[in-house]
Amino acid sequence: MTGLFKWSPKRSEPPPPAAPISTDVVTASKVLPRFLSALVQQPAPVLLDLGPIVGPNIAFFGDRLACKIYVEDFLADIEAHTQRGDRDAVGAALTGRLTQEPDSVDGILCWDLFDFLGRASGLMLASRLTKLLRRGGVLYGFFGTTAVDMRNYSRFIVESEDTLRIRTQPATPVSRTVLQPRDLLKMFDPLLVSESVLLKSSTRETLLRKP
Amino acid sequence: MVNIGKSVIIKGELSGSEDLTIEGQVDGKIELRQNILTIGPNAKIKAQVFAKAVVIQGEVHGNVTATEKVDIRDAGSVDGDLSAPRVAIADGAHFRGSIDMQSKGAPVAAKPATDARPQPAPAAAAAAATAASTPAGTPAR
Repeated sequence: MTGLFKWSPKRSEPPPPAAPISTDVVTASKVLPRFLSALVQQPAPVLLDLGPIVGPNIAFFGDRLACKIYVEDFLADIEAHTQRGDRDAVGAALTGRLTQEPDSVDGILCWDLFDFLGRASGLMLASRLTKLLRRGGVLYGFFGTTAVDMRNYSRFIVESEDTLRIRTQPATPVSRTVLQPRDLLKMFDPLLVSESVLLKSSTRETLLRKP
Repeated sequence: MVNIGKSVIIKGELSGSEDLTIEGQVDGKIELRQNILTIGPNAKIKAQVFAKAVVIQGEVHGNVTATEKVDIRDAGSVDGDLSAPRVAIADGAHFRGSIDMQSKGAPVAAKPATDARPQPAPAAAAAAATAASTPAGTPAR
């Protein structure tokens, strides 16, 4: 009789632990290496990061560029304004926080910030950023090409010179502002589009350069 | 290692030559140029901070300069500018300001303690040594 029970599965063993669910997306970047190569020529470049603080990015850019980085978490401001229902006022609030001298910044990390801004706010911020850039300075950003509701903010983590890890976190939904290349040229005049790569995520990874 | 406890409040300048952990409050200036400063989870600092290395687990309002490294842990918070050759910021840490990792923050090489004269280059030193051991036309006394 006892032998019959040998066929049954061992019920006393706990089920194997579930693997942690990762929502991170790892993506190759063709534009980030261009951004870096534009800065590595500078002896002590100055960066402006408009996204949330990301420790690995600080370490990466510090190691590679021995730079100075200003961190301004504009997504936090956008979220606060969106929740209050005064999204149109965010442009003035953001530009007011940029106290750097004109022509003092070598590189700007916009990430996908402009997707969350209305046109007027985007134009105001773009105008300010172009003034901050030095000649030869570069601006790196992601610009969505489809009008969808943005329900998540993206945290871009630089893993290597050509690899990004994208981690999302919930956002108060806003409709994406789609900016075509011609819109970018107008908004960021006199910057020129140096690189533009259309990704599978319907996002254009773009590098703008100040001539 | 010296520890400044939770209930201690210091207003003014704090300096020293040994590693220090602060759990209390400091308003003013902290200088530990050759040592490690740890700002504990309960600490509240409103000060300019200078140290060899700074570990931040508490709250700092003010600029932090380190000759080696600034390390902001996950519960740490800094409102101010950082200057250090290496900076680590953990996920969850709060930071607002600028981070200067340019080489000017690197420590200056220490001068020799016994002989301040500049050292000759190896080739020149060898030549000088040869000249000293065989003085041309000068008899040894």
